[in-house]
Formats: sequence, C-alpha cells, structure tokens
Amino acid sequence: MNYTVRNLGGVREIELRGQLTFEANDDFRKIIDGIEKDGITACVLGLDSLDFIDSAGLGLLVLANNTANRANVRLTLKHPRGQVREMIEISEFHTIIPCDF
Amino acid sequence: MDSSVHPLPAAPAASRPGGGQRVLVGHPRRGIAAAVRRVLTGMGVRYVDVAADAGGLLAAVEAEPPDLVIIDRALLRGDESLIETLRAVIGRGELPILILGRFASLAERRAVMAAGATDLIARPLTGAELAARLRGHLENRLLNRSLQEVIRSLQTFHTGAVQRMQLARDMQLDLLPDEALRTGIERRYGVRLDSHFESSSELGGDIWGARPLDDDRFAVFLCDFTGHGVAAALNTFRLHALLEKIDLPGDNPAEMLGAINRLLVGLLPESQFAAMLYAVVDTAADRLTYATAGAPKPIIGVPDCPLRVGESVGLPLGVSMKASYRNRSVEFPPGAFLFLFSDALFEARDWEGRPFGYPGILDLVRLCGPQGGAPAVGGEGGLADLLDRYFAVMPRPLADDLTALWLTRTVPRSG
Repeated sequence: MNYTVRNLGGVREIELRGQLTFEANDDFRKIIDGIEKDGITACVLGLDSLDFIDSAGLGLLVLANNTANRANVRLTLKHPRGQVREMIEISEFHTIIPCDF
Repeated sequence: MDSSVHPLPAAPAASRPGGGQRVLVGHPRRGIAAAVRRVLTGMGVRYVDVAADAGGLLAAVEAEPPDLVIIDRALLRGDESLIETLRAVIGRGELPILILGRFASLAERRAVMAAGATDLIARPLTGAELAARLRGHLENRLLNRSLQEVIRSLQTFHTGAVQRMQLARDMQLDLLPDEALRTGIERRYGVRLDSHFESSSELGGDIWGARPLDDDRFAVFLCDFTGHGVAAALNTFRLHALLEKIDLPGDNPAEMLGAINRLLVGLLPESQFAAMLYAVVDTAADRLTYATAGAPKPIIGVPDCPLRVGESVGLPLGVSMKASYRNRSVEFPPGAFLFLFSDALFEARDWEGRPFGYPGILDLVRLCGPQGGAPAVGGEGGLADLLDRYFAVMPRPLADDLTALWLTRTVPRSG
C-alpha cells in the first residue's frame, strides 16, 4: 500500500492505493498516529485506488476509527470499489465508519 | 512455577584460544618435543602432554581427549596406520591431527593426508612459523566447539518448542467435532458432513463446530478470527469455552451471533475480531436458516435449481456492542448442499500472485458439486475433489488458515 496526504484546513484527505493487508500495518499506523496527534478535525480515507482489503486491513480501519473517536476526529471512508466495496458491505463497516459510496 | 522469562538458548561460555586447551605432542626425540612444548607454552597453552611412542600417544588420547595432536613424522616410521587408529579412537570429528616433519615425496604427503591428517607442517621452520600455524588450528578448534555448543543448545530449544507447539496443535484439533459427533449428526439427520481444516502455521485462527438441537434440527458454524498463528488460535479457545459453558440461543442464528458478539466485545484486542456464519438446518421443514457476521457468502445448492450465493451482511464479532444480525432462510430439501469456507479459499494467491477469487470457487463447486440433485460425485462428497482441483493450482502453505465445510442432505432411497 502507498498513500498521499492532502490537508485542507483541519480536514485531512488520504488517498490509499494498492492493498490494505497486514503488510500495510506499519504505514497505516503512521496514518493512525497522524489522526491522533496532528490536531485535525476530520479525516477522509479515499479508497478509489485501493484494490484489495483483507480482514487484517479491516482491523486497521477499526483501529483508525477507534483512535479517531478518542481524538474527536470525524473519520469517513470514500468511494470504495470492487472487492474493497464488497468487503465493506459484507462486514457492514459503513455502519460504524460513515462511508460515502 | 516457571519464571516468566522466555527460555532462550544459553550462550556458550567464552574462552580464549590456548588458555584452557590441551595439546598432545608425539615425538620420539625429547629435544625436539621440548622445543615444540616451549612454543606452545609461549602461546599460552598450559596443558601440553608429550608421548615418545605410538603406544604412549594412544594411551594419552584415551586418558584425556586433547584439542590438538601434533605427531612427528619420525613417530610414524613410514606407516600411516597410527593416524588411522587415532581417528578410529577419537572419531572423524573436528579434532585436528598435524604431522610435523621433512616429507620425502608428494606420495608420502598424499598418504599422510589420506590416512586422516588435518594438515602437514613441513620442517624446517622457525618457532614463530610453528606458533602461527598452531594458533590457527587452535582458534579453529575453539570456534568449532563454540559453534557446536550453540547448535546443540539451539537444537534443544527447537525440539522443546516443537513439542510444545505439537501439544498446542493437538489441543486445537480437539476443539473441532470428533468422528463420533460427526457420524452421530450424519445418521440422526440424514446428512453428510465433510470438513477440511488447514492452518497456515502450527496453530490457526479458524474453528468450526456442529451440534444437535432437537430431533429435526442441528446447527453448524464456521468462525475465522483475524490473523493467524498463536494469537488467533488463543481466540478460538476463547470462543470454544464460551460456546461450551454458556447457555446461548443456539436455535436462532441471528440471536446466537448477537449473544456471542456481546461476549467478545471487550474480550478481544482492539484490532481483532471474528467472521462467523452460524446455520440451523431444519430437516422437517426442509429449511436452512443462517446469519453471518462478516463471513464469506455461503454457496447453496438445491436440486434442479441454479447454484445460489447466499447473502451475507453483518459486522464481524467483537467490533461493536451495537451490532445486530439478521436471519436468512432458504429452502433446503433432501439433496441440497451448503458449502462454507473461510476467506483464505478465495483470497489465497496463485504462483503469479493473483487471488483465486470468489468466482473461481463457484466454478469449482459447479465442477465438483452434486449434479441435478444426484448424490455427490462418486458418493464421496464434493469437498475432497474440490480441494484436489484447488491445490493443483494453488501453492501450499496458504498464507491464511483454511476451513471448509460441505454439508449435504442425503436423498432417502426409494423402496
């Protein structure tokens, strides 16, 4: 996985690319650290270019969401496609993290 | 009790070359033997034994195995059998045997080496040269011994670890339905239940089960905790204990998942959860009722109907206290089958790194499943056949744990 970050005021937009699996753990934890410590008010995870997510990847989304809740940051998911969208729907992750389909 | 310190292999005691090592010198002439001893003492070797003949040399080796043997060519008297005898006594191991002397021909040098000598030290040479050669051999010897100690200690650790892991693996396999339970369900309800359980390492994060409910109904479930290996396996023990010891609404899949979810929230670490499908088969009503929590969509086959991909929607277990689950109910007459599997089956990657994919699973089920309501292929159920075809193109070991269940309602024989 790789990603790009764009900050617009207090809103951070992160575009994820590639595969969100256990291998992405270290990189994604940096994203989570940023949510916790960078004083932002909202964070949008852009999923247009994310090709694949597995259960470990969903676990990272749970961690990000819990961290965001504790830090009063509004976390949202945006535009999941293909397998990623299917995984989010099967797991009903949009019921715990708002998702803009 | 045991301390909580991880039992790592102990490092071998450090020692320096020369100091504690024992060298045996075989030389018929006392003057030269004394000169060699002086060189060794100068190097810091404290234990030097000297033997004046072959008998004395062998006796000294047997009394106390040395770290290095130096034999003057004169002691061999043109016969290399002493070297062979020495090797027979001390083994072909690492003990260096050096032959010191003036060698008349290449043939003699070859014969001495062939007999088992480690190295030849040709005279004349200075004390400093001799010391340098001996130091090299003694250092080698010391390193070899240290290495052997490390290897031995690692082997001991590894053997213990393998035994402990095997015990844990046996315990995990004991969580799954045994043959008696399986055949009991098969006979009582007129079904066939085939299963496959394959961990990606010694322990896995999958668990499945089956249990009778009443004369007409029984339940099956498949649960896959995030991750694999020891941590995920510990969660399967948690779930098994909950299912065994707590009275849960086992005849209502949605309520069952809700109850398990509420037990697991707060029990599992933050980023861990479980995907689970719980199903109840009612053989009187010919219905299958199931609920899912983030589990892969089940595949359902009903005689004379197109293959059906069951709906699957629901938060994985252990994520949120607010999660609720819903029942799905489908027709499940005799001849129907239900195929359940963990996500490893379609997420696993082939030799080129491409995921197998859910459509590939559907193709396999069409190939291997019962055709037009007939009994499963060869009467043996489609699972073995399906997995044979699957692993013909998929490399093992899989990166994740794989569990697969194939449940078929058998067709009563007419007459």
